[in-house]
Amino acid sequence: MIKRKKREGGEFSAGSMADITFLLLLFFLVTTNIDVDTGIGMTLPEKVEDELIVPMSKERLASLLINENGDVLLNGEIIAIPQISETLIDRITSKIELPKNKKLVVSIKTDRNTNYNLYIKSLDQVKVAFYKVRNDYAMGKWGISRKDVNDEQYKELKEKIPIIISIAEPEKIK
Amino acid sequence: MKFEKKRAGAKQEIPTSSMPDIIFMLLLFFMVATTLREQEIFVKFTLPEAEAIQKIENKRLVSYIWVGENEKIQIDDNIVSVKAIRKIMYDKRVVLPNVIVSFRVDKNSRMGLVTDIQEELREADARRINYSAMPKP
Repeated sequence: MIKRKKREGGEFSAGSMADITFLLLLFFLVTTNIDVDTGIGMTLPEKVEDELIVPMSKERLASLLINENGDVLLNGEIIAIPQISETLIDRITSKIELPKNKKLVVSIKTDRNTNYNLYIKSLDQVKVAFYKVRNDYAMGKWGISRKDVNDEQYKELKEKIPIIISIAEPEKIK
Repeated sequence: MKFEKKRAGAKQEIPTSSMPDIIFMLLLFFMVATTLREQEIFVKFTLPEAEAIQKIENKRLVSYIWVGENEKIQIDDNIVSVKAIRKIMYDKRVVLPNVIVSFRVDKNSRMGLVTDIQEELREADARRINYSAMPKP
């Protein structure tokens, strides 16, 4: 009687498959750059034909002027850039409970020759101020930082402490 | 008397047949996360630093404007003039209505140029912008 040799499995060797995929994986690992763009987000004002000038009470307005010499003026007084946020925090905090049309508006104005870096630094300070107040509010009310709030809480934050920054057009060269 | 050790009949190897699947998973992840289309940047710039920065969640929405050291403006793969921005951005906005324009501006630029670009963007109604900045070390 002829005994049939039992064949071992009909599969192909999948062992090298892992190697091949490893190679591919390595290639993509090396070429990937998961760099996320970071920056300060803003929304430009809408372009309207006839701009109407709304008078704004001094109580509401914090005007920041950065001139071409690098001096930063907050409401007409020279201020060092790192101190902007501290100064603004008090003013923002005092307006948390006020109605919508009484919140603080920060206006940033530059000259045409102002250094861009200074502008970003100042804008950053303003944002820091708003974020800190939001953070304190979230901490005080819910005991969490502003980054951990849920949608509803975020809505409340947005309503209580809206970030209103207006970019004024720079002075034309006389 | 001879003692014979009892041996389990099972194979002693680790089953590697699912290894490729795992690797494939990883591979797929990196393939999806990779952006091969790297833009060549013709202008030289150093980004400013800032504290209150946020990440842009959706990279597909972002369109970049580079402004280099000698006030050259680059959009996509071309050096453009300020006046041309309006048309380019308008076209972009038609395709992608909620485009975010990211400013990658050299920190020693003058605000005049930045404002001019912003004015053009307002004309094109591409009003969501982002000043690209590095996190402070």
